[in-house]
Amino acid sequence: MKYLLVLPFALLASPAVAQSTSPADLLAQYSAEAGAEASAERGKELFMANHTGGKPDTPSCTTCHTADPKAAGQARTGKPIEPLAPSANPERFTDLKFVEKWFGRNCNSVLGRDCTAAEKADVLAWLASL
Amino acid sequence: MTDATSTQFAPQGKQVLVWDIWVRLFHWSLVVSISTAAVTGFVLGAPWIKLHIVSGLLAMALVAARIVWGFLGPTHARFRDFLRPPAAILSHLTGGDTGRHLGHNPAGGLMMLGLMAVVGLLAITGLTGLGGVLRTGPLLSLPYGIGEAGLELHEVLAALLLVMILAHVAAAIFESRRSRENLVRSMVTGTKERRPGDHRGRKVISHPRIALTVIALLAGLTVQVWQRDTGVPERAPVAVLDEIFAEECTACHLAYHPSLLSGAEWQVIMANLDDHFIEDARLDDETNARITEWLIAHDASTAQTRPAHLFANERESPTGSIAETQAWSDLHESLAEETFQHAPVYSKSNCSACHADAETGWFSPFQIKIPKETSK
Ligand code: HEC
Ligand code: HEC
Ligand code: HEC
Repeated sequence: MKYLLVLPFALLASPAVAQSTSPADLLAQYSAEAGAEASAERGKELFMANHTGGKPDTPSCTTCHTADPKAAGQARTGKPIEPLAPSANPERFTDLKFVEKWFGRNCNSVLGRDCTAAEKADVLAWLASL
Repeated sequence: MTDATSTQFAPQGKQVLVWDIWVRLFHWSLVVSISTAAVTGFVLGAPWIKLHIVSGLLAMALVAARIVWGFLGPTHARFRDFLRPPAAILSHLTGGDTGRHLGHNPAGGLMMLGLMAVVGLLAITGLTGLGGVLRTGPLLSLPYGIGEAGLELHEVLAALLLVMILAHVAAAIFESRRSRENLVRSMVTGTKERRPGDHRGRKVISHPRIALTVIALLAGLTVQVWQRDTGVPERAPVAVLDEIFAEECTACHLAYHPSLLSGAEWQVIMANLDDHFIEDARLDDETNARITEWLIAHDASTAQTRPAHLFANERESPTGSIAETQAWSDLHESLAEETFQHAPVYSKSNCSACHADAETGWFSPFQIKIPKETSK
């Protein structure tokens, strides 16, 4: 009987604990999906550039994360955003679901579309190299 | 008024004590407390509410003590000395009342009674608003509507009190001229020059010890009543935030409390997360459903707070924005537009920059502090 009581909690808890990963694992996964070697150079370009396809208030990743991913950024509401580079913030790229959620939202805001696996691999390669 | 007013035995020009020290202390303390309450209430607004309430309660306490002294104090402190029947007041006002009154004249006495009554009513209506609207103090169980009505009446009474004070000051100046004496100075020194034909009133002695005892008893009773109704009021905004809500909805901004908006507004927000205030805040369906359900279960209709009542007024087409409601603009009209752009505020939506209790949904005026502008 007991496991019947535990089951709902296990189901509820699963999204938070599961899917832990690391920048290296994730980079390997995105690169494999893309079928190509990641390039930190291209990742930096994508991150720094001003794009036009997305929402006009957020033309670039740097709008919120600043041009220095080792420094804290800021959301449009004034709320601080922790640094993106794993060297400055070890929590980064350790939860697959979290990473996917934010790539999904942020790429849509800036580019107006989802990022490809290759683009994600590039950005991650650059951030992890800092 | 055929009271023993003859002054033939008194030497001319002798200064006699008219206002005892307690009457004078009462008068000038009341001036200070009412001025403080007026400036904080009319000019400075919500961030000064603590001082406003303290000065208002002090005025009320002073009036209560003065009422006791009106029964137990010396000659001219007594109500009996200056509260006159309407006919006597009318006769005084129409010039049928010859002779000078050492204490308050009949019209002045009526004004005293009026001022004390209005200060008392201001305290009662203020506490009504504090209870029903801000949900604190001895009357925190009152319904919101009564609290709101109390505050409206409070404003009307405050304006009335100002007019009465102006009339009182004008009358003091007018009387000083007419009777060639300085009444304001008398209220400082307590003395007046005795003249022939004065109405000197019936001499009585004061009972300071009895008065002090009565005042102490009243004070004790007040403290008892004040502490009777405390604790968490009914229909308080939900105190514990849903875990998933707190995780998903605080990445970009503070946790906007569910009681700030109606269920309809929350539904619009949650149905449009992919285009959320020009940003993408998409969630998976399961998470979205859970948060939506929780928000609606604790929406504005479940809470008795000032923001819940002000922001929840149904818009014809809900947008989910709080800072774009008319009520929000009205509340913040005293603030310059730039205040919201400077660091560390950055945005009107950054409520917690100025409201320390923003995430509780209370937005108490006791918790407002505009941060100093910083560089960056
Ligand atoms: C509108 C502001 C905004 C823009 C523009 C933006 N981001 Fe973000 N980003 C955020 C916020 C907010 C978070 C999550 C908050 C946090 O993790 O502290 C986040 C998180 C992330 C994460 C999650 C990292 C992790 O594992 O913790 C990644 C990756 C990311 N952003 C990449 C990007 C990229 C790439 C771009 C440009 C295409 C971009 N962001 C543009 C606001 C933004
Ligand atoms: C990707 C970032 C992001 C996430 C995640 C997010 N919001 Fe927002 N939200 C914003 C921005 C940006 C604004 C507009 C703020 C401004 O105008 O300065 C906003 C505004 C709001 C407002 C209106 C505030 C006002 O001032 O009127 C509400 C209410 C709100 N969000 C609720 C939510 C809820 C509920 C969630 C969780 C389901 C959520 N938000 C998640 C970015 C986000
Ligand atoms: C720049 C600072 C600042 C920001 C940001 C701000 N407020 Fe205020 N708020 C104030 C001040 C100051 C007052 C008092 C105004 C007055 O009456 O003098 C106030 C008053 C209020 C009151 C009335 C309090 C009372 O009972 O007297 C409410 C409710 C309120 N704000 C809600 C909000 C909400 C909701 C937000 C975010 C969407 C917000 N405020 C953002 C400064 C701010």
